[in-house]
Amino acid sequence: MNTLQRIQPPVFPAEKIVIPEAKSFILNNRVPVYLIEAGTEDIMRLEFTFKAGQVNEDLPLLASTTNRMLSEGSQNYSSEELNRVLDYHGAFLNMSAEKDRAGIVLFFLNKHIEKVLELSREILFRPTFPETELNSLMKKRLRWFHVNREKVQNLAIDQFFESVFGKQHPYGHQVTEHDFTGMSQVLLEDFHDKYYTPDNMAIIVTGKIHERTTSLLNEYFGEISSKNMYIEDSENVIKGERKKKIHINKAETVQSAIRIGSSTINKRHPDYPGLKILDSVLGGYFGSRLMKNIREEKGYTYGIGSSVFSLDLCGYKIISTEVGQKNLQAAIDEIHKEIRLLQSVPLEKEELAVVRNFMSGEMLRMFDGPFALAESFKSAWEFGLDNSYYYRLVEKIRTIEPDEIIELAKTYYNIDELYQVTVGAK
Amino acid sequence: MIDYKKFSLDNGLRVMVHEDTSTPLVAMNVLYDVGSRDEDPEITGLAHLFEHLMFGGSKNIPDYDTPLQLVGGENNAFTNNDITNYYLTIPSQNIETGFWLESDRMLELDFSQKNLDTQKNVVTEEFNQRYLNQPYGDAMLKLRPLAYKIHPYRWPTIGMDIAHIENTELKQIKKFFFAHYAPNNAILTLSGNINYDLAFSLTQKWFGPIKKRKVQLRNLPVEPLQTEERILTIEKDVPSTALFKVWHVGTRNSTDFFTLDLITDLLAGGESGRLHTKLVREKKLFSEINAYISSDIDPGLITVHGKLMKGVDIQHAEEAVNDVIASLLNGDRIRDEMEKVKNKFESSTVFSNTSILNKAMNLSFCELLGNPDLINQEVDSYRKVTPEMVLEATRRYFVPSNCSTIYYKSTRKEK
Repeated sequence: MNTLQRIQPPVFPAEKIVIPEAKSFILNNRVPVYLIEAGTEDIMRLEFTFKAGQVNEDLPLLASTTNRMLSEGSQNYSSEELNRVLDYHGAFLNMSAEKDRAGIVLFFLNKHIEKVLELSREILFRPTFPETELNSLMKKRLRWFHVNREKVQNLAIDQFFESVFGKQHPYGHQVTEHDFTGMSQVLLEDFHDKYYTPDNMAIIVTGKIHERTTSLLNEYFGEISSKNMYIEDSENVIKGERKKKIHINKAETVQSAIRIGSSTINKRHPDYPGLKILDSVLGGYFGSRLMKNIREEKGYTYGIGSSVFSLDLCGYKIISTEVGQKNLQAAIDEIHKEIRLLQSVPLEKEELAVVRNFMSGEMLRMFDGPFALAESFKSAWEFGLDNSYYYRLVEKIRTIEPDEIIELAKTYYNIDELYQVTVGAK
Repeated sequence: MIDYKKFSLDNGLRVMVHEDTSTPLVAMNVLYDVGSRDEDPEITGLAHLFEHLMFGGSKNIPDYDTPLQLVGGENNAFTNNDITNYYLTIPSQNIETGFWLESDRMLELDFSQKNLDTQKNVVTEEFNQRYLNQPYGDAMLKLRPLAYKIHPYRWPTIGMDIAHIENTELKQIKKFFFAHYAPNNAILTLSGNINYDLAFSLTQKWFGPIKKRKVQLRNLPVEPLQTEERILTIEKDVPSTALFKVWHVGTRNSTDFFTLDLITDLLAGGESGRLHTKLVREKKLFSEINAYISSDIDPGLITVHGKLMKGVDIQHAEEAVNDVIASLLNGDRIRDEMEKVKNKFESSTVFSNTSILNKAMNLSFCELLGNPDLINQEVDSYRKVTPEMVLEATRRYFVPSNCSTIYYKSTRKEK
């Protein structure tokens, strides 16, 4: 018998990625619906999304409180009944309010679709925002807030957003204890009337699509009309704070949190795919420069990473880590060193090949199965983009050259322009 | 219904294959039958440290991650009391690279001092991040030795004392490897876009040549029956007071497991669970409360923990928790609620099995429990629980002499 040569088997290139296209149609009241057939089980993921995020609020907590209160009682159900009936039908309800958008996502077995649609309509369009439930929610949230403010990573990210987007902008304003007493039924009703309307909604459906799915959606959501509310244009402009470096003192912590980054371009910009690749090289995967150096070489941290995010008004990039107190400055120096290297030394062929292939594999995962597909669809669609955005990204992953990465690093990672937030003992 | 085929190699490696052609990917899971319960009480945390070392290079491959990333793969691992589990997902055309990587680190690790030193630091930072730098992070560290006096479940996976990790030597690492990492102590599962024949021939090719090893026999001390209620009070500068309670239960394979799992769902499954409804919504004693059963192979625990609202007395809160548990005994509304949690269990099982990686992990674990087909029987076992079984189990397990409690008191002045 021949002895096995334990060398890497042949590497086959990524197969051409085929992204399922969403079918779209509109309900009788012009609400757009996007359907993507996927998966093997008779299940569904149903998302209702609204332009009702933080960017629309003029008081901190208003968007998230309105969102959370949607399931706390409606015209026909008490909050307890809503939760019990959803649970009884094995449905999972996720509620979220982010910087730009808010809404709900339901996961359920298709046999329960009618009940789920009925309850979704109650939650979205017939909430009553009862004062008693609101008061107890705000008390609970204040408790959670206090717990969260104990964690260095939360203090750091809140300050990071304030520094990057400015104190006055809803992307950047920090929540204080005082804000938890400022909510009322009237405020929530007003926010709901303005932003949770059919005009402002889209429905994204993935999983096993049945023939009657479309007619059911029309039956439950096609007849709801929008109130004509006047919405004043926000005059808020994004303007980062002047101070680039902030340290928040938190005594008796064994680790310090570091957040470094700034606002940047978003998905609509032609350089964005290139920036995504640059970000992967720097800190976007386990074999990235930051992980290799700061975790695997130096052992300063359990984890370090960088990411680029897209928001409606702009994007931002951020490097995040928690490090042992004594290594705080050393870690920051190494982060700067890695950025400078990317600005001056071209990537070796081997490293570029690893990044290309790793990212190609990631792209496969982004479209694998009904849940991943829905999220990928939405994160292009909300910027007015379609699958051509992903095909451009695929193409850029395939063709980007080291010189272009240097140029991108010089353009988008000017160290003097980066904000640096640290939290920990002095 | 999850179809699978099973075979074994001469060296004792057990293999399972589940084909799913709806995905372009394959998930590969390698479960080693070694966890923190197999550690020497003097050198705890070794199984978990080992999980980190397994990425530092093996006999013929200096760097595990790069070649995997080069073929578009992604990987991770976890360690618990019972097992150490490694997994990756990879585009199907490059699955052979997965076999090459996983077989090489089963063959032999590259035991380097440099790698050991770095990973000791990384694990220390992990310990700091998870247990020291979070409010209440140390509660579980304190709860285990309260509930277990003899059995190795008394220390957490990260180790009893971080000094154990700091003092670990290379020769202990080598010994641990050859005593636990072996084809005859592992289960390999493939799930996704791969057929049985290919899985079989690649397994033969890459894992076949690895020799069977002498695996350390497991001979764990049995935890004596707890006979008295145990209480520990911790006072710390945390935002609010918290309550932690655990009760001993049976093994993962015991007939009561699904009954107890269902009981924790009645208590805390979703927003409509009894604890949440009564104590968070109605009485406003807690800001959050949760209950769950551990999936430990040896006799495990049911845990209930919650954070108190401002000004609530902890004894009062604890009595209220006990009242909610006791309410299971009067049988009111129980049939409806049982139907609800059964439906929810069924749908969460369906959702979990939409992922090839979950299927691979679950199949491996069921095989370790003795029968991979348990993956297809779970919903049934759960559905078969009757109100009488709930009564009986509540009476039997939720008694004070079987319970350990931590009062985690906030020393902060309430404003």
